Amino acid sequence: MEMILEFIESTGFANADVPSLVMMAIALFLLYLGIAKKYEPLLLVPISFGMLLVNFPLSPLMISPDNGQPGGLLYYLYMGIELGIYPPLIFLGIGALTDFGPLISNPKTLLLGAAAQVGIFITFLGALAFGFSPQEAGAIGIIGGADGPTAIYLTSMMAPHLLGAVSVAAYSYMALVPIIQPPIMRALTTQKERAVVMEELREVSKTERILFPIVVIVITGLFLPAALPLLGMLMLGNLFRECGVTDRLSKASQNELNNIIVIFLGLTVGAKASAEYFLTVQTIQIIVLGLVAFAIGTASGVLMGKLMCKLTGGKVNPLIGAAGVSAVPMAARVCQTVGREANPSNFLLMYAMGPNVAGVIGSAIAAGIFLALLN
Amino acid sequence: MYGFDAISDNNGWFIAAIGVSIVFTGLIVLSLVIAQLHKVLALVEKLTSKSEKIPEPKPDIRIPPADPNDVETAVQVFTPLIEELSSEFQLSELYALAKEYHLPHPHLSIRCLLESGRLQPLGDGVFVFVPNCQE
Repeated sequence: MEMILEFIESTGFANADVPSLVMMAIALFLLYLGIAKKYEPLLLVPISFGMLLVNFPLSPLMISPDNGQPGGLLYYLYMGIELGIYPPLIFLGIGALTDFGPLISNPKTLLLGAAAQVGIFITFLGALAFGFSPQEAGAIGIIGGADGPTAIYLTSMMAPHLLGAVSVAAYSYMALVPIIQPPIMRALTTQKERAVVMEELREVSKTERILFPIVVIVITGLFLPAALPLLGMLMLGNLFRECGVTDRLSKASQNELNNIIVIFLGLTVGAKASAEYFLTVQTIQIIVLGLVAFAIGTASGVLMGKLMCKLTGGKVNPLIGAAGVSAVPMAARVCQTVGREANPSNFLLMYAMGPNVAGVIGSAIAAGIFLALLN
Repeated sequence: MYGFDAISDNNGWFIAAIGVSIVFTGLIVLSLVIAQLHKVLALVEKLTSKSEKIPEPKPDIRIPPADPNDVETAVQVFTPLIEELSSEFQLSELYALAKEYHLPHPHLSIRCLLESGRLQPLGDGVFVFVPNCQE
């Protein structure tokens, strides 16, 4: 009888508490969004499942080693985030998957990528005003970069206790790009500006493609060594893709390695979203500030696009500025959709990919700045 | 501490201003360097190319008078190009090939093929060619 009672006491039913149940409900809701609504499913499914696993009462998955007993599975996998390993490896895969051709052929779109990072720094100020510490404010501001691995990397380095809330906010807003961005884009541009047809992009030579990652890493590495872990891996992945002699490495970075790291990253980020860290007023503030960051980033990108449109005598469609917030390639697709509403024969996708990938570089630089100044 | 006091106390204004400045400076420098890259390469190529250039044979792709909205013409022109690609390909690859063969209106023709269902999306940006699709 005593054994049965002990068993009952060791079950989740006997130890369930309201915060854990709420977190499990949130995890199931996110799982629903990932599977049924297809909101960033490759990340939202492992994140929400990790969140579910770790919020079971008495869940052993995140416990640390104690008295010679080993820790939980996710505790060890989480070391990959704590030590800053997974996000740069994700960047390796992104680099191998990304065609920087549109950016190389139209390098002025880097300015759009830079302008869209303004949201990060304005939100940083907003978060400070809400009473967050500078490190926490930096982690919250980076949500505006709409770049999941960068947000995770910076948060794990500067405010690991916010990792769950920041990553859920970052990936939720990335998934909601088609809903958040179009009203801002339409509000800031005229019908005539949205209908601008851009000049055809010049062809980019193989040598340029090979030199691009080397040039980028030499310049940014000298400017901001703190950004090297992310940008270094991004450019290495791209060099694998473009140099023509490392096809196997390129394919491994794009597929096997990337998929494995996505599973580890998603699970462990979700595992960090336990009730004690997640169910706080701070989480609501982070979600609101994240939306502000994203909206300001979109607006500043579009405004820079308008400026470039004026300066070039109407040769730049300002809509492509919105793609500067990263969220590759979703933000570029949104530009294409909104552009075609104004001019059905317009084809903005290739042009928007320039600022889109510039945004990835820009947000990694912004993360490096926070690391250099605040850590 | 909250509000402007918290921002000032944590050097927020300074960090934000420096941050924005560094992002812009870094990306402007990158932009300038990348904009010159192809010119430098062309110059280097010009200086180093001493041997006589052998003219490249023209590809055997016959280009009929192109109406980018005519699906059948687009299918006829793009079929030999798509045969050079793998069975599943990305639109950027097809576009690059069309540019290589100097086909007129590649964007419009590819869009025409997409809208007529001749290019079917398989997800993740990958497409397959269906030359005899019934609209």
